Amino acid sequence: MSKFRVAGRGRVRHDAPVSFTFDGRTIEGRQGDTVASALLANGTHLMGRSFKYHRPRGPVAAGSEEPNALIGTRRGKGQYEPNTRATMQEIWPGLTTTSQNKYPHLKFDLGAVNDRAYMLFSAGFYYKTFMWPASFWDKVYEPFIRAAAGLGVSPTEEDVDTYASRYLHTDVLVVGAGPAGLEAARAAASTGLRVTLVDEHAEMGGALLSEPHVQIDRLPAWDWLAEQIAELQDMGVKLMTRTTAIGYYHQNMVGLCQKLTDHLETQPHDTPRERLWRVRAGQVILAQGALEKPLVFDGNDRPGVMLAGAAQTYLNRFGVRVGDEIAVVTSHDSAYHAAFDLADCGSRIAVIVDTRALVDDALVAECARRGIPLKRSHTVTGTAGRLRVKSVTVNAVEGGHVGKGRAYKCDALLMCGGWTPSLHLFSHTKGSLKWDADAQTFLPDRMTEACQIAGAGRGLWGISAALQDGATMGAEAARALGRDAAARALHAAHDRPGTGASHTELPTDQPASRAKAFVDFQNDVTAKDLRLAVKEGMRSIEHVKRYTTNGMATDQGKMSNINGLNIAADALGKPAPQVGLTTFRPPYTPTSFGAFAGYHRGDHFELTRRTPIDGWAEDNGAVFEPVSLWRRARYFPRPGEDMDAAVSRECRATRASLGIFDASTLGKIEVVGPDAAAFMNRMYTNPWDKLAPGRARYGLLLGDDGYIRDDGVIGRLADDRFHVTTTTGGAARVLNMMEDYLQTEWSDLKVWLTSTTENWAVIALNGPNARKLIAPFVDGLDLGDDALPHMSVTECTFMGHPCRLFRISFTGELGFEINVPARHGRAVWDKLIEAAAEYDITPYGTETMHVLRAEKGFIIVGQDTDGTVTPDDAGLGWALGRKKADFVGKRALMRPDLVLANRKQLVGLLTDDGETKLEEGAQIVLDPDQPKPMVIVGHVTSSYNSDAAGRPIALALIEGGQGKMGETVHIPMPDRTIAAKITSPQFYDPNNDRLKL
Amino acid sequence: MTIHPHDLTPGKIAESAACKVHMLDPVARFSLRAHEPERKAVADALELDLPWYVGDVAKTGETEVLNLGPDEWLIVAPEGQTDFASRTVDAPHALTDISDRELTFRITGPRASDLLTLGCPRDPDSIKPGQGRRTLFDSATVVLWRDGENDFRMDIWRSFAPHAVSLLALGCAELAAE
Repeated sequence: MSKFRVAGRGRVRHDAPVSFTFDGRTIEGRQGDTVASALLANGTHLMGRSFKYHRPRGPVAAGSEEPNALIGTRRGKGQYEPNTRATMQEIWPGLTTTSQNKYPHLKFDLGAVNDRAYMLFSAGFYYKTFMWPASFWDKVYEPFIRAAAGLGVSPTEEDVDTYASRYLHTDVLVVGAGPAGLEAARAAASTGLRVTLVDEHAEMGGALLSEPHVQIDRLPAWDWLAEQIAELQDMGVKLMTRTTAIGYYHQNMVGLCQKLTDHLETQPHDTPRERLWRVRAGQVILAQGALEKPLVFDGNDRPGVMLAGAAQTYLNRFGVRVGDEIAVVTSHDSAYHAAFDLADCGSRIAVIVDTRALVDDALVAECARRGIPLKRSHTVTGTAGRLRVKSVTVNAVEGGHVGKGRAYKCDALLMCGGWTPSLHLFSHTKGSLKWDADAQTFLPDRMTEACQIAGAGRGLWGISAALQDGATMGAEAARALGRDAAARALHAAHDRPGTGASHTELPTDQPASRAKAFVDFQNDVTAKDLRLAVKEGMRSIEHVKRYTTNGMATDQGKMSNINGLNIAADALGKPAPQVGLTTFRPPYTPTSFGAFAGYHRGDHFELTRRTPIDGWAEDNGAVFEPVSLWRRARYFPRPGEDMDAAVSRECRATRASLGIFDASTLGKIEVVGPDAAAFMNRMYTNPWDKLAPGRARYGLLLGDDGYIRDDGVIGRLADDRFHVTTTTGGAARVLNMMEDYLQTEWSDLKVWLTSTTENWAVIALNGPNARKLIAPFVDGLDLGDDALPHMSVTECTFMGHPCRLFRISFTGELGFEINVPARHGRAVWDKLIEAAAEYDITPYGTETMHVLRAEKGFIIVGQDTDGTVTPDDAGLGWALGRKKADFVGKRALMRPDLVLANRKQLVGLLTDDGETKLEEGAQIVLDPDQPKPMVIVGHVTSSYNSDAAGRPIALALIEGGQGKMGETVHIPMPDRTIAAKITSPQFYDPNNDRLKL
Repeated sequence: MTIHPHDLTPGKIAESAACKVHMLDPVARFSLRAHEPERKAVADALELDLPWYVGDVAKTGETEVLNLGPDEWLIVAPEGQTDFASRTVDAPHALTDISDRELTFRITGPRASDLLTLGCPRDPDSIKPGQGRRTLFDSATVVLWRDGENDFRMDIWRSFAPHAVSLLALGCAELAAE
């Protein structure tokens, strides 16, 4: 066993060795170790290189706030993760870990040259250092900065793990299972509420795990803890470990990321790696505790320099001494206890340097009893050692004057600048903070959410205070939820709360320009950078933050924000509360993309809606295209056909004989009630009063701005019932718009809307043989032009199924749309195909549908319109019920700019050469020889090769186009300019003779 | 686990020690709308009990009526037992056949309610046995009926069903592995 492992100490299993590798070296730890504690037990502090200067770094903390000890972990193929905090990753046999930011080796790194060129990398260096020549930015400077600065390398393999998510509703969510959180959960749960207690660590207990000497209720801390956890379980509290509350959102929604498998040697079946919980809590109790503050002095980032509380955790929780010969520098009492605990376990304490003149007599006596040299009113002005701290320079401070330094040999230097309440989650809620002048820190003040803060999170130090406050806040939360609750009182013995002082940089006798006193370890920001930022004109803490990047790393300033603020405030000559704190952003700790994606990846990435007939299309080789969430058959190529050939054949066959088309995706809304016609009159531009039951009409829907929003054929089934169809993509939008008007403007109308899109499978049959095909299936219904003329609808039985049969056409051919209950759609389709063999029935897709309608000049909303096209612009002025008192958009149509003669209007375009197909979206000019930039008068909206016209056709929006029939326009393309003639948009059968069959 | 539309036939979809998902046979389903002043007249004419409280279910014979909102009820009846739909109602109302709009899945088992939390943002505890709600599952609108403590029915628009049900099936395995 390594000499740094303390037998019998900590919560690791000393009888259960576990081997893993770090940079290829086999490391033996103990079950219960983290990577950091196992490496420290083996005497290794050097675990990585820093972000900007590539300085050697070791762990400075023992928890999730760790900024330095970021490693790569690999659990198998596709299971590499960069930037894992070594202080949080539990070890298991075979775990592979690597250090980061080093080339070629962790111990000898070429990038460390940055450290010597540090003067180039001061605050805002990227704005200043790399200014000239400008052309160097893209090719030299930026690639160099990107390569040199940064942390781990992104994984290159696809992630093979699975991720999950769940919703959780709980009455009380307690974040943090330290003494305050445990007591809060208990108080709330004792009233019968649903309580959830989460903690980011592998086990619950928080500070109790590092302070086993405390006695609670006469029980040793760890015995009390075990008892509490068992009791909470019995009370039905949902206990979740390895679960981080990553963000606190509106209305008490808290995001939790639960890590399920990263600590396991073998992956359990059907178990995701991580699960994101979206928790909706009646009350949230934040019991996140406090984070220890580093001291700011030259060389405070050397491996071996760490927070005193972290050393105490490594000793008491993991049974690891962080060094043999330890120096301590502190401005707070708590560091003494770390020193005493280590001294009692065999480490030699070289010196305790306290910045304060006055120290508690009891602590002084304890130092004396252990023979620990104590230097009051002293400072630390530097450290030495390349890959590990070897000595620390200690100077007396007298009357503001820093005396001569004396070096103390040490292999670890513990520092403590006091404690900062963890305000991150509270800060997510935009709760306000108040400055506590005594503690020199911010405390939570006004809450914006149903939230309580307990324990050290609101500045209460010590186990006793945390227990008491937890119970109080738990009861408070229960009372807020209407429960009768009382807080129990517990007594903790051997508690060591302590007090301290706050500092900016420690006083030094060194020139300020040389000092590398780090404030933000992860982003390599020094005190000097912060002062430089203020000197260069940054006044707001927000600007100082962005200019220096202080607090902007993935640790979100857990260690740096308060020190950064104090130094900036000092440089500005203002008190801290006037300077203010920057906002902490979620997530609290770095969270994998997998956790956010959850189930939504691979086949489950996004919903794909399929019609009842989709399976037939798939079996018959359809090429699909997405249309909103649906996938629709675009065309049905035969062997050897490309899209143009297939579409041309489908168009020809439909016009010659019969085409069949799956129109099930069309939106359908059933408008029912005594005021149905009144509602339709107000909603659509067209008049509806005179539409008789059994007849159908093309309906046009505008926004209140007068622009076309949607269109579709609408059938009147009865006086009080309309079958409205919408575009595929517009279905949900149109229903929402209608409901909006109905509920907010016209709540007096007795009319109701029901989406029936999915109730019906819709089969469109078009072509001269359409009637002949369906006649045998309609139970003797008269389908003749007199009984069922163009634009009519009838309810009938089709192949024995209830049916709404429309005679309508979006192709210009004789057309029917058969609506049958969705479950029968496929069977009806199959039977039609089978029965229509003699008519050479041709299935066609959306592309052919687009061509056929363009040949007739029918618009597609969203293709030929773009949200700025009025009915008159689109040549649909005939659809306006001009005599109606009102309809949505009517007033807007009278706006001066909507009646201008020179508006862009929909016209047809035929290229002069008769062969060139224009590009959709191409811009149109009147004079191709004008100087650039040319005056654009419009653009091509639709363009196809038309079999019926025997040439390419196009639709376009052109300024004043309807008054320019026969004129030539020009379409400049990269390689040439194409001339085209403005025509009517009806290219085929302009008299609609083919509809009258 | 991916489920295709053609996999969706009545019968077992997924099963584990934690939960079971079955697709149910088709039923007759109607959306009924009427304003509160006309509720009683409409109920009398249809010879159905129309519950007043949102989320409550009333049963008339084998016909179930769920109040989905202040002016909205969902009527579910065995196929062929829809006499109410042809009765004359003079009071203003809207009755629309939506039998084929949704498919229905039954979710049972000791972790049935936890299974719903994979995709449903609503608190399952807020739906008492014998009640129902319109809510979301994996971003699709669904109607959730709680027939018993561990017995749910989910009505979901047919094109959304394969996506949602594949998550239910995956959840069956995930919950069983816990």
